[in-house]
Amino acid sequence: MRRREFLKYGSAMAAFATVSTSLPAILSAQTSEDAPTGEEADFDLEIVDVDVELIDGSIVPMYAFAPTGKEPSIPGPILRVTQGDTVRIDIRNSSTRPHGFQIVGQTNAVVSGLAPADGDGEDKMRIEFVATKPGTYFYVDGDNSPINRVLGLHGALIVEPKNGYADGKNRKKPMPYAPGAATPAMKSLFTALGESTIDGEPARFPGKPWQKGREYVWIFNQIDPAMCRRIGGGELVTPAEFESQFHPRYFTINGLCGLDSAHDKATCPTGHAGEPALIRCMNAGLATHSPHIHGNHVFVLTESNKNGLPIYQTSLNEHDVWTMPPMMIKDVLLPYTAPPDVPPAPWKMVQEKYPLRYPMHCHNEISQTSAGGSYPMGLVTDWHIDGPVATS
Amino acid sequence: MTTIYRPISDPLEFDTFGCHPFENDPATPDRTNRQVFLRRQVADWNVDMKDGSQLQFWGFKDPDVSGSDSPWPSKLIRVKQGQVFHCEFKPTKGAHTIHWHGIEPTPMNDGVGHTSFEVKSSYVYQWCAHQAGTYLYHCHKNTVLHFEMGMYGVLIVDPLTKSPDTNNPNYLYDPLPRDEVSDITPGAPYSAESILVFDDVDPVWHKLDHNAGMCGDDVGLDKFNPTYFLINGVHNGRTQTDSRTVTRMTAGRNLMLRVANASYSRLHITLPFNCYIVEVDGRPLRTNRAKGWFSAPEFKAAGSRLEVAVAQRYGIWVPEVPRGDHRIIGNFHHWITNKRHFDGTAIAKIVAL
Repeated sequence: MRRREFLKYGSAMAAFATVSTSLPAILSAQTSEDAPTGEEADFDLEIVDVDVELIDGSIVPMYAFAPTGKEPSIPGPILRVTQGDTVRIDIRNSSTRPHGFQIVGQTNAVVSGLAPADGDGEDKMRIEFVATKPGTYFYVDGDNSPINRVLGLHGALIVEPKNGYADGKNRKKPMPYAPGAATPAMKSLFTALGESTIDGEPARFPGKPWQKGREYVWIFNQIDPAMCRRIGGGELVTPAEFESQFHPRYFTINGLCGLDSAHDKATCPTGHAGEPALIRCMNAGLATHSPHIHGNHVFVLTESNKNGLPIYQTSLNEHDVWTMPPMMIKDVLLPYTAPPDVPPAPWKMVQEKYPLRYPMHCHNEISQTSAGGSYPMGLVTDWHIDGPVATS
Repeated sequence: MTTIYRPISDPLEFDTFGCHPFENDPATPDRTNRQVFLRRQVADWNVDMKDGSQLQFWGFKDPDVSGSDSPWPSKLIRVKQGQVFHCEFKPTKGAHTIHWHGIEPTPMNDGVGHTSFEVKSSYVYQWCAHQAGTYLYHCHKNTVLHFEMGMYGVLIVDPLTKSPDTNNPNYLYDPLPRDEVSDITPGAPYSAESILVFDDVDPVWHKLDHNAGMCGDDVGLDKFNPTYFLINGVHNGRTQTDSRTVTRMTAGRNLMLRVANASYSRLHITLPFNCYIVEVDGRPLRTNRAKGWFSAPEFKAAGSRLEVAVAQRYGIWVPEVPRGDHRIIGNFHHWITNKRHFDGTAIAKIVAL
């Protein structure tokens, strides 16, 4: 089966494709769940030069990925596969500069030095690998690092488990990880979601279990318009020069700033209390962000190591601020509980406005600016609780 | 070449999102009986910096306490878990808010302009903390500037019970039936407490108007070049001698070290003793399935480094502190280059006798 699977960033009920023989993965431990699924996932991507309109109306030259023949976007489209799939990605460089492509954290998934296409249609490069550990991965142009990546060539590869259920045979508690490799704390958390009592005690997560597809992707990046214009104008800037002179003035989440990201349905989580959501956080830029969420703490489930592989956490610390250095990927669970510090009273409260609207913003507040000032143009979005606990 | 356009948006929404947020003085919605009441107003004052210059700072003063006009950080608030808390806020110097950082009340009580309102002249915030731990409170109007200007304080929610250990009578949190906590004594009992808030200051920002940059004008808020580094408002030349940053305690007893990062830097803390991280962001690290906790304390050997993200808090439990002077070293690193700032070190001290 050959499929081309592209998704826009954001929540989507996705059931997807996939596989073949399992190749030895150097970077990740093999589990029985890495066995071939017999499915294949095929993607065609193109690298293009683009002009990007920023929130203040100014335009900067950047690079972008596009499904071949379709509209480009920054970040590039989500590539979603299933553990054990044989993933093939064909890359064409339709930019005026040389580029590369890489899935960080997957073996056999790098090409570099891809010359600009000359239009004869024979100039694609292919990578092929078997998707291994479920989780969130960066795909980037790893050439000229970090310039090409920060100038727009980044996106998410999501590896879903073949059999992601926290409660094994019952299959009532879906989980975005394979049970054989998930930590006891991860399985325990996903088992607890949707329970109104546990061991006879009132429990914390009444409502629904996590449901496959109830997820969001937040990719952070920063834009230095002066650098974009210098590079777009043909100036040769070395990576060392880029890093030392990088002065970001726009701070984006899924390519959007402030007001725009808060209104973007794919970025702004919505739902009732009791509808837990997975948020896959990624930082493609050079700044270290401190995302801070109001209204609920999140559970940090995974944290990528320096090779880009998700490390499943044995201790699921709850944070209202979590640190995101460059190229960090963290899957966090937003439990979507009723705000826990409302005084004891029947809920929903009668005088409060609905939906309950809370921000998520980077607390390194310099990131809340754009072009020198203004909160509504920064790295901020909202999330909504539309009403009281939803039950299955 | 393809152009990626930004989405079409309503200019009016941009205006209310952050440029001119809704100002109001509503009655507290769903108001209920309180167990704690306090007041806050806005103050400004000058602080002597390390090089002898003076800079203006802003903060929250308590009008019921004399001498609280130059509070930086603003006066510590301590409440007990489960108490209904009311704070009457009268900003008096233009619209401001109080965001109870880490506390999760309704949006009206969350203190964020674009999701509710900014307080024009008076509002009573209401919440009831369900979990003991370490929190902050700070202004969330033009937060970029107002947080840097010093408008923050520490908020601690204490548990209901006392420890039976008379040498270490205070708990970080209430131990509960079915808690599983490896290595440490459940509740993390302590006798001495050191609360350290690290901050950095760019003097250029301290000359700006309080609405600077809110409507997108270029006032330089994307350039932060700190030259002063402080703990609890004490500059780094004095932090090893000032009573606000030196904690004296009896050797052999337990210490609760609470650390917060109010700077705009990556803060790397070096811990001088064997210790355990027992709380992050107001949540104790323990496993209690019925209560929804799935974590464990983390051991840190003497000499370990801990990165504290901007606005994060850590509760660090040090059992049986050895006799001697213990230096807690905070290094401030640039948020993009990760290079340590010039003079970017501040050191607090625990003296165990």
